Amino acid sequence: MGRTGGGLLALPFGIWLLAAFAAPMGAVALLSVQESSEMFAPLSLVPSGAQYAELFGDPFFMRVFVNTLLLGAAVAACCAVLGYPLALWLTRLPPRWKPIGFAIVLVPLLTNVVVRSLGIILLLAPRGVLGAIADAVGLPRPELLFTWFAVGLALTQVFLPFMVLALYDVLEGQEKRLEEAAAGLGAGPATRFWRVTLPLSLPGLRAGLIITFLLASESYVSAALVGGRKVLVSGMLVVKEGVEVLNYPLAAALAMLMLAAGVLATFLIGRVVALLTPWIAGRAPRVTLRLPPAPRRALVAVAEALAPVVSSLLLTLAVLLLVFPLLLVAVASVNDSPQATVAQFLGFTWRWYAMVLQNERYLSDAWTSLQLALACVAVSLAISLPAAFALVRGAFRGREALGALYMLPLALPGIAIGLGMLRLLQWFVALPPFLGILAVHVVLVAPFMLALLRASVAQLDRSLEEAAGGLGAQPVRVFRRVILPQLGPGIAVACVIGFLISFGEVTVTAFLTTARLQTLPVRIYAEASFSLENTVNAISTILILLTVALLLLVNRLMPLDRVWRR
Amino acid sequence: MTFRTTRRTLLGGAALALPAIWGRDAVAQIRRGDELTVGVWGGAQERIVREFCATPLERQHGVRINFVLGGTTERRARAYAERGRPSFDVIYLNIFESRQAVRDQVTQAPNANVPNFANLYPLARLGGYGVAFNPVTVVYDRRMVAAPMTSWKDFWREDLRGKVILPAELGAQGSATLLMAAKVWGGSETDIDPGFRKLAELKPIRAFQSSQDQLYGMFDNQVGAASVEFGSFTRTYAESRNPNVIIADPSEGQVVAMNVACITAGTRNQALAEAWVNLHLSPECQRAYAERIYYSPTIRNLELPADLSAKLIMGEEQVRRLVDFDWDVVTRNLQRWTGRWTREITG
Repeated sequence: MGRTGGGLLALPFGIWLLAAFAAPMGAVALLSVQESSEMFAPLSLVPSGAQYAELFGDPFFMRVFVNTLLLGAAVAACCAVLGYPLALWLTRLPPRWKPIGFAIVLVPLLTNVVVRSLGIILLLAPRGVLGAIADAVGLPRPELLFTWFAVGLALTQVFLPFMVLALYDVLEGQEKRLEEAAAGLGAGPATRFWRVTLPLSLPGLRAGLIITFLLASESYVSAALVGGRKVLVSGMLVVKEGVEVLNYPLAAALAMLMLAAGVLATFLIGRVVALLTPWIAGRAPRVTLRLPPAPRRALVAVAEALAPVVSSLLLTLAVLLLVFPLLLVAVASVNDSPQATVAQFLGFTWRWYAMVLQNERYLSDAWTSLQLALACVAVSLAISLPAAFALVRGAFRGREALGALYMLPLALPGIAIGLGMLRLLQWFVALPPFLGILAVHVVLVAPFMLALLRASVAQLDRSLEEAAGGLGAQPVRVFRRVILPQLGPGIAVACVIGFLISFGEVTVTAFLTTARLQTLPVRIYAEASFSLENTVNAISTILILLTVALLLLVNRLMPLDRVWRR
Repeated sequence: MTFRTTRRTLLGGAALALPAIWGRDAVAQIRRGDELTVGVWGGAQERIVREFCATPLERQHGVRINFVLGGTTERRARAYAERGRPSFDVIYLNIFESRQAVRDQVTQAPNANVPNFANLYPLARLGGYGVAFNPVTVVYDRRMVAAPMTSWKDFWREDLRGKVILPAELGAQGSATLLMAAKVWGGSETDIDPGFRKLAELKPIRAFQSSQDQLYGMFDNQVGAASVEFGSFTRTYAESRNPNVIIADPSEGQVVAMNVACITAGTRNQALAEAWVNLHLSPECQRAYAERIYYSPTIRNLELPADLSAKLIMGEEQVRRLVDFDWDVVTRNLQRWTGRWTREITG
């Protein structure tokens, strides 16, 4: 790495963002400083703070904005608490069961949002599962539906997979001997987790927290479905102002505020984790607060006593939360009812599967989505892997800031990217359709992969590379024989996540779909916009099965764990 | 004379009449190889228009029909963004947006170049070509009420106290609820207060539904007695899952909702777009809508079996009874009303 300290490796990622993201981002920024909210008013280049003034002046907007950020923080925290036991469980699964374990984790990402929300409603409704349990125990039926709790639960469910996968690779790659050493020195499971596992996995936690926080603070579909009208989040206001009222400037200003908050949060999480992991940068640890020995011993004793119970409880909760939609989807997919529901089973039928498999349009759209997702993952990997090395190992100034900058597409709500693209539609349609949508998908997917790969790169064992270099291996050979095998699981996980995001993307793609290119999720969305049929559930079931098959294949090509270590 | 020859004659006539009206921009004739881009909902609607509009046009003229599937809001947002240089030739909108789109010069006002225009009810000639009525009405579970519901005022009956499910948002169902409450209690779209006041009197509201699927789930579980919903979907639900749910025909009328086919302003395939719309207004296509998804025809020249007619809005008399509102006033006020709805009704 030359004088730039490895910064050049971050360049391809930056160039792609400039080419495909700067334009819609610029359009949103420009729209947000328009004075007039009139739909057909010509764009003015003189910036005006009118829209921001309106947002800041309206306590309603500000309340929703702050509530949404709090919701995002709460969801990120819940994902972390549920994610650790799950990720640890996943690392301990025997290799042959790993693909199944991953499939369980990925179920929520593979089910339609409407179906998932129906599941939450079924769970929380006054006569739902929880209500019945409360009744049986003799407690009053809780009023949980249409509350922040319901929304938080729905979001935790769908974003938990991101956290688990972010944690999985760093936990899997951890030096097992450290834990054994700690155990040999008399540390119980709770102490070992707190003093060894947790600190070493902080880079993964950082990726997970950033991703879940950003996703949760931008999401709006789940909130609209399980929150009724009683829960309002910023994303819903952007949609309302932008797409329904057609007040682009106000929607753009709100999106810019969300972007600013997202960047700030990314930066803060990064700083805090950097402070807590001084060894990565080779700095001396800061002085930490320590309890006096007596209360500490008591605390440790209590923690050790509770740890087994709490961890298995959390694991059970997490697995149930993830698998619950699968149950709904599988049952509904063979339910002989024209509406997608599971509240009532009317009889067994294969006809939804027949409708999907006989309809060549589903298949051709699925083929389009597949090609798009594969191309998208390939490009994203090619630009984000070097960027990950630059961000972890580079010795250039502003590394942390560049890291936050590269998360921008994640921090800008997808719906705002859609609005920005609407303004650019006439240029966009001049591109070949596949290339245009691919460019946008890479922008949406690459930051996720970067966040995950960054954690994987951070935990590479550099002494191995030095040893190989010392033995005379050329850099290319070192990369192929030493780095790549260590990164294998990290790359596999990042690719799976990237694939699923691209394959399922609908918020932005719905604005960009043309007659020449249509993806499967957009078709499903279009059908659900008329009436939700059970074909949706048949597709979800097929997708889940295909994912299991895909994971089995990935596991063959690129093992999901580091078997050679054992 | 068969339908096919009639249509061809009429189309020919329309095509000949076009240049005079649409000037040089529009292609006056349908040429082999032309492509028409149609933005429409997915599911059953896509299947019907493919069968009754796309396939005949493709067979007859050697043209290609492209579908862009999606929800109304994205379609509308795109059409507005592309005003004057549309990538769509025909888009489908709701009654809500269609009239505004004509005024904003995003889509064209309907005209008699489409032969079947002559058969449309006057109500379906606003904001484009109304292709299906799909009114919103009172729906209820007959096990949970003392007597059949025959009026919007029945929501305020003693036996329904605490059993009403209201729409969570001011979408089609929510605004119909609010507007009808205002109307039957002495207000109107320009005097909405009575609506809010009377709906607040319904408290405690049993539950709020934000989608059909949610409402039907509630009916499955007997969460509440009555709500406001599209009659068509509810009929399908009642017939397949819950025969106790009744689609009422209140004395004050059902609130009109309508799917509207809109030809974009500036389309380069004017004649083909009009031929498309004409096929959508054909009795065959309208019959399929009625039989398969209980959408009511917007044309006068369609005869249906009596048992099917009974489930639809059929004939001058019934169409006249549909309650229409000034949707401009509604659209303008919707944001303010949404705020009040949140604070005064759902909050």
